[in-house]
Amino acid sequence: MQEPLVSFEGVAKRFGSYVAVQKMDLQIHKGEFLAIMGSSGCGKTTTLRMLAGLEAPSEGVIRLAGQAINDLPSWSRDTPMVWQSLALFPFLNVIENVEFALKMRGIGRAERRRRAEQWLERMQIAEFADRNIAQLSGGQRQRVALARSLVVEPEILLLDEPLSALDAALKVRMQSVLKNLQRETGITFVYVTHSQSEAFSMADRVVIMSRGKIEQIGTPQEIYRTPRTRFVADFLGSSNIFPGQLTRDAGGRAAIATPSGDFVLAGGGQGATPGQAASLIVLDTKMQIHFQPPPDAVNTIEARMIGEEFIGATATIYFETGAGQEIRVQKSHEELADLPLAVGRSFHLSWSPADGHLVPE
Amino acid sequence: MRRPVSLYGLTFSLPLLIWQLLFFVFPLVFLVALSFWTVRNFRLEAGFDTVNWVTMFGRPVFWQAYATTLAMAAGAAALTSALAFPCAYAIAFKLSPAARRWAVFLMVIPFFTSYLVRVYSWQVFLSDVGIINVMLGWIGLGPFRLLNTIGATMLGYMTLGFPLVVLLQLFSLVFVDRTLIEAAHNMRCGRLRTVFAVVIPSARVGLVIAALFSFILCFGDFVSPIYLGGGDPTTLSILITDTTKSGQQWPRAAVIALTMIATLMVVAFLAVRFAYKGRTK
Repeated sequence: MQEPLVSFEGVAKRFGSYVAVQKMDLQIHKGEFLAIMGSSGCGKTTTLRMLAGLEAPSEGVIRLAGQAINDLPSWSRDTPMVWQSLALFPFLNVIENVEFALKMRGIGRAERRRRAEQWLERMQIAEFADRNIAQLSGGQRQRVALARSLVVEPEILLLDEPLSALDAALKVRMQSVLKNLQRETGITFVYVTHSQSEAFSMADRVVIMSRGKIEQIGTPQEIYRTPRTRFVADFLGSSNIFPGQLTRDAGGRAAIATPSGDFVLAGGGQGATPGQAASLIVLDTKMQIHFQPPPDAVNTIEARMIGEEFIGATATIYFETGAGQEIRVQKSHEELADLPLAVGRSFHLSWSPADGHLVPE
Repeated sequence: MRRPVSLYGLTFSLPLLIWQLLFFVFPLVFLVALSFWTVRNFRLEAGFDTVNWVTMFGRPVFWQAYATTLAMAAGAAALTSALAFPCAYAIAFKLSPAARRWAVFLMVIPFFTSYLVRVYSWQVFLSDVGIINVMLGWIGLGPFRLLNTIGATMLGYMTLGFPLVVLLQLFSLVFVDRTLIEAAHNMRCGRLRTVFAVVIPSARVGLVIAALFSFILCFGDFVSPIYLGGGDPTTLSILITDTTKSGQQWPRAAVIALTMIATLMVVAFLAVRFAYKGRTK
């Protein structure tokens, strides 16, 4: 296995008594698009800022290309960053902004003009070269900020929620711009965001953080299909979570006892000890809806329909079990066509044990 | 589209309007009129004669004083700004918010004492038998002529302008976007270079306005050039007093005063235009 481009080894950051990042280990590979996702205050931005040298870690070692960079000041690192506010210089015009980093590297006037123009061309903003920043739209500023960071052709680019100020349509456009840019240049992108759709649509790997701790690292598919902790399942919002206690059912099979019923687990419960507290996670797309009790299903619950929500080709139906737990089920319109859906009516929900997995409580 | 003048709005703006008319516009108009009057047998006579303008503008001593005053005020503005900047920068960027409040408070204290008193206290330090020369004498140096020099005048000008310039610079520096500084660092711009490449351009309006205030204060100041500079070289403010004292030449003094006002207006206009240059509305 190739050496990672960046590695965090037991890195922690405290501000006074507040712990922003708890002892963290993370490897970032060369050429990947890594998204760090979490709600505000989870430590994702602090992690990025430590990598850029804008915060010093309280503990641990950060390595860039094998070298410890803890004591390297920000201006001696090659870790260009795109800020949430973009941080474009209002007293410089577009091309001067893009040239700034080259000028700081002592590159001659003609050469830096040429390289800046190349990047403006590439970002399709060449016509605005002599404009003031204040005269640009949000999307154009975004492109200037990207050109300004990429003009030095770095190995790694840090992005701190750069799309959060854009409207929804532009956000989607910029996502594909970013993704293509990353693929074409092969530059490692580290992208901090609170938006699941941004992280999942662009990243090769996603890091989910909560309260200064990494909850899960994986490809978007892995994280979506098998959230490893209760927090991740909750955060993604597309899973049904049944908290309960491990047990054995009448047939001796591993099961979990929850307020909504006892459910059989796949693979004998992976050596779980009965009595232990855990949560069963079942993805909303893996649940089946039946009007009549299904004769052959292993795990079923009776639940009352409480609402529905249509998003494009799929619909999300909301149910409530007798124990008061809400369950969501996502289906295509075709799959729902034969069901007499109506709010208040009772249905039977089922899933195969293989579609559920346990997370520790 | 014309907006009707409301009684409510007028109630609040009228006192200021009357004040301005009484104490700025009328005196100015009077000053202009005065500059065309004549003096005969030490007595003012109303009239319309351009003789005062012709006489004053024809005198090399006037232009000499004009050039001196302009150069000294500009020098004081530049020197005060340069010395005040590290101070304002440190207060804005290096101090904790609590310490910053104390620093602002300390910068206000000089205004508690009359400028004249502060200038007199400099005499105690600078005179031939003053504190500095006595102390230099202990180690066998001096006495040096410190008082009645241009340097002493500059010191007086700084006594006048320094606290205000620091405060004005400070208020523009605290509003400099910190992420711009981080962005500069992020692009390999070192600490000192960032000050010149990012901090100063960001705070330009405030820095220019601060220098302008220093210039305005020094350009019209009478106290420092006379009590610390010994009246030599002659500045325009000294020339005004000399002119009024010698032969009751109030009309000629009015010419000098009007020239000063016109100069200040031009300088202020140019400075503000320079401050906002390149900014889009």
